[in-house]
Amino acid sequence: MSFSFLPNAVLVLCLGSLVQLAAISWRRHVARDAVLCVIVLLASLASIMLPTFLIMTGSLPLFSSDSWGSYAGALIILSVIAIVLMSRHGAISADPSVNSEYFILLTLATLGGVAMTCAVNVISFFLGLETLSLSLLGLIAFRNERLDAGEAAMKYLLLSGVASATLIFGFALIFAETGSLRFAMPDLSHLPEPMIGTMGVILVLTGMFFKLSAVPFHLWLADVLEGTTIPVASLVAVTSKIALFAAMLRYFSSVNLGVPSAQVNEILIVAVLSMLGGNLMAVVQTDLRRLLAGSSIAHVGYLLVAFLSPQPFGVASAAFYLAAYAISTLGVFAIMNGVLPQGRDIREWHGLFRRKPAAALAMSIMLISLAGIPPAVGFFAKFYIVAAGVSAHQILLLFVLILSSTIGLFYYLRLILIMLTPAPEGYVSRAELSMPTPANATLIAVLACATLVLGIVPGALVDRSQGIVVTPVPIPVHSTIP
Amino acid sequence: MMMFALPALVLIPFLGGFAAWIAGLRGATRPAWAVSLVTLILMLLVLVNVTLASLSAGTGGWFAHFSMPWIPLLGINLRFDLDGLGLVMLWLNALISFPCALLSARNVSERAGLFHFLLLSTIAGINGVFMATDLFLFFFFWELMLLPLFGIILIWGDAGRQRAVLKFFLFTQGSGLLMLLAILGLVIVNAQRTSVITFDYFLLSQTAMITPVAGVLMLGFFLAFAVKLPMVPFHAWLPDTYAASPAAASILLSGVLAKTGGYGMIRFVVMLFPGPAAHLAPVAMTLGVVGILYCAWLAVAQSDIKRLIAYSSISHLGFILLGVFSGTRIGMEGAIAQMVAHGLSTGALFVIAGLLEDRLGTRDMAKMGGLWPAMPQFSAFAMFFAAASLGLPGLGNFVGEFLVLMGTWQVSHTMTFFAAAGLVLSSVYSLTMMLRVFFGPRRSEASSPLGALSVPHVAVLGVAALLLLALGVYPQPVLNLSVPASPHSVSYAQEQAQ
Repeated sequence: MSFSFLPNAVLVLCLGSLVQLAAISWRRHVARDAVLCVIVLLASLASIMLPTFLIMTGSLPLFSSDSWGSYAGALIILSVIAIVLMSRHGAISADPSVNSEYFILLTLATLGGVAMTCAVNVISFFLGLETLSLSLLGLIAFRNERLDAGEAAMKYLLLSGVASATLIFGFALIFAETGSLRFAMPDLSHLPEPMIGTMGVILVLTGMFFKLSAVPFHLWLADVLEGTTIPVASLVAVTSKIALFAAMLRYFSSVNLGVPSAQVNEILIVAVLSMLGGNLMAVVQTDLRRLLAGSSIAHVGYLLVAFLSPQPFGVASAAFYLAAYAISTLGVFAIMNGVLPQGRDIREWHGLFRRKPAAALAMSIMLISLAGIPPAVGFFAKFYIVAAGVSAHQILLLFVLILSSTIGLFYYLRLILIMLTPAPEGYVSRAELSMPTPANATLIAVLACATLVLGIVPGALVDRSQGIVVTPVPIPVHSTIP
Repeated sequence: MMMFALPALVLIPFLGGFAAWIAGLRGATRPAWAVSLVTLILMLLVLVNVTLASLSAGTGGWFAHFSMPWIPLLGINLRFDLDGLGLVMLWLNALISFPCALLSARNVSERAGLFHFLLLSTIAGINGVFMATDLFLFFFFWELMLLPLFGIILIWGDAGRQRAVLKFFLFTQGSGLLMLLAILGLVIVNAQRTSVITFDYFLLSQTAMITPVAGVLMLGFFLAFAVKLPMVPFHAWLPDTYAASPAAASILLSGVLAKTGGYGMIRFVVMLFPGPAAHLAPVAMTLGVVGILYCAWLAVAQSDIKRLIAYSSISHLGFILLGVFSGTRIGMEGAIAQMVAHGLSTGALFVIAGLLEDRLGTRDMAKMGGLWPAMPQFSAFAMFFAAASLGLPGLGNFVGEFLVLMGTWQVSHTMTFFAAAGLVLSSVYSLTMMLRVFFGPRRSEASSPLGALSVPHVAVLGVAALLLLALGVYPQPVLNLSVPASPHSVSYAQEQAQ
């Protein structure tokens, strides 16, 4: 007999989305739905802290509850709260036909993400993944009058479909070999056909890399970020990546990634390519969102360095880095959304320090954090990852990390430089400055403070992250099919 | 009291900068400037206090100590320790920071509050670098001091600053990350040996002595400091950056920031890894000599006065490298004296260059000339510092360079020969500069009246001249005081704390 947990957050989010649906069917009211969404999210956040209500018994554990799942789940929920706070603006509230659904889709995306972080069974993981992906698809596509939204949605749909199919195929191969649906990498040496098992693992990895948008599976990310609204872009760039990375870490928690093997080599190559490719891609961009896409890819590469350096800092540094990345990236998106929603071209940002000093300062703090310069939190996060890498002797990865960070520094600093200097002669700005909504302004302030405070006093979060353990996925008693 | 003096040296400028920023929010230049000046005076008073307490504790060893936990789980502490070398460097920083704040009033007319905030933050960061004995803290300050400077150059700099500042930042940050690798490598090696994770300089120095990978770790530190110093061939960022910086930033950059590289070489390369550093010494000294000759040669060919000073600066910094790696006590003393003297003389030369640019509207020496009759007082100062820079006996630079050459002589006669040849070139470009700027016929109409010097200028240049003279005539107190303390000697203050 084994125990299975239904994590509180999953339960609360399920119930919450039902409540939201019921509210809409009664009467449409955007502001109420937004508030309801925040309440549901806050309730689920609170429920993460509580002990699990529902413990089921049975032979098929679907979810487990451990500190890694709770931490990643809390990060996901917090990031979605931030996204809701920046959502009440412009594009969304201007379109009355879809606005209530928007908040339901956000709750559902959260549900999917949280389910992924604590899934210990392939089926529950896949359900979570698809819940997240389909909600994202809806969110990307809902501005149906826009051509680029359609393009982005189509790209996302196709590539996400391919990734899901690859994942499923990989899971199927592993299931054929082991007869188990455990969400954990099988022990390849004890399989009757190790070749097929290895193929399965590599396919699973490839599917995950597609969703994580690691190089060379990254091509969709820039187009999707470009074609959607800013809040949804931050959902794609932050929330879904946290969820997927959390699940990936759990999948590989049972194996020693320090020993070279086919899949470790794949991760290594992808990490190197992501760090270099993401940064090189961002350097040449003139569109801010494409630049952020490149930056996001590079940060996935840095996270993979922590991923490949499990002992003794790997998990803790990954946890810290996820938080730092989420705070800074959400901050950049929130400022874009609040101050210069049409500021796609980076030249639109010229002279922001004169026109909106506070916003420009906050933006600089976020960029400094992404670049990894003190006193912002990104500095300590990168330091932590390098510490993990050094202790695991990942020399190659570390040199690539340094090289690519230096490249990264160039474009983050160039953005600050642009904000400090007036627009070049002859450039006619088309974007208008807007006043951030109170919620958005609060969000920006909170994120900027968090970036600085956590950068100067990272002790508390380090304590928290050091305590995080990924419990190995339990081996079910009756797992084999007769 | 003494306990909190060290963190106060970091906090006072930082908080004062913040106050200056707030004072300048209304747009007026004056209050921000006044707050900034008061802050610097306050910092100076604390420094005087620290110095008096240190002197009473006797020379050599560690004078003061401060420690409190920061990130306990990773063994990171807010740990400051002060020895003679650090104290001398702090004094240099405090002295150089005055002209930056005093003379900025003319160039910085708008957003003065922000300027003073950035300036004082840089100074706080540099103070931190000279005192931090927790390697993480050191690295934190090392990176932190660049950021405000980046802002200063970018906002108030000259044409071409965008390229220059990016180059500067990428060079220094990239090499800084290599140092981070080395720091972490050392920490991990130490953790494997003692199963304690710590960033403490003193504890790590035990491991640094015996670990077989010490050579690799030292290289990481060495490269970061070599870029900052800068050592040829890592000097590409310097002339552009100096030329594009506003006067205050170039004074700070040449006067103190370059010395953080020299300080790091002593504290973290030679003291921490004595064995591998001795192996590296021939290479480092050769590069030092190459730098002295090559950059002096380049300086001869410059027509932009700021670039000339910039190249001459790299050339003179070669002596620091030479002295530090000579492995002799006398060479080390010479290197430290050279750091102080060079900081004062180059800082003063940049004050002069800034003033010339201010009054004439150009940096091109071909367009200057014949300024002596128009501004005799100023020209006399320029002559003095040019003479100091070329190593005239009786002034500080001579002491530094002579001691370095003496130290090098014990190691290699060839290198001494070539390094001394650099002094000839140094006379060539210094005197050419004097000739082209101050003698001969007038070639330009001044954009603003030449006239007499303002009181702050006279004060700044006068104090620098007096200090150089004092250092040249009677350098022994500075040489005695500035002996770097070994990491293996437990600090006096620490003993008291226990």
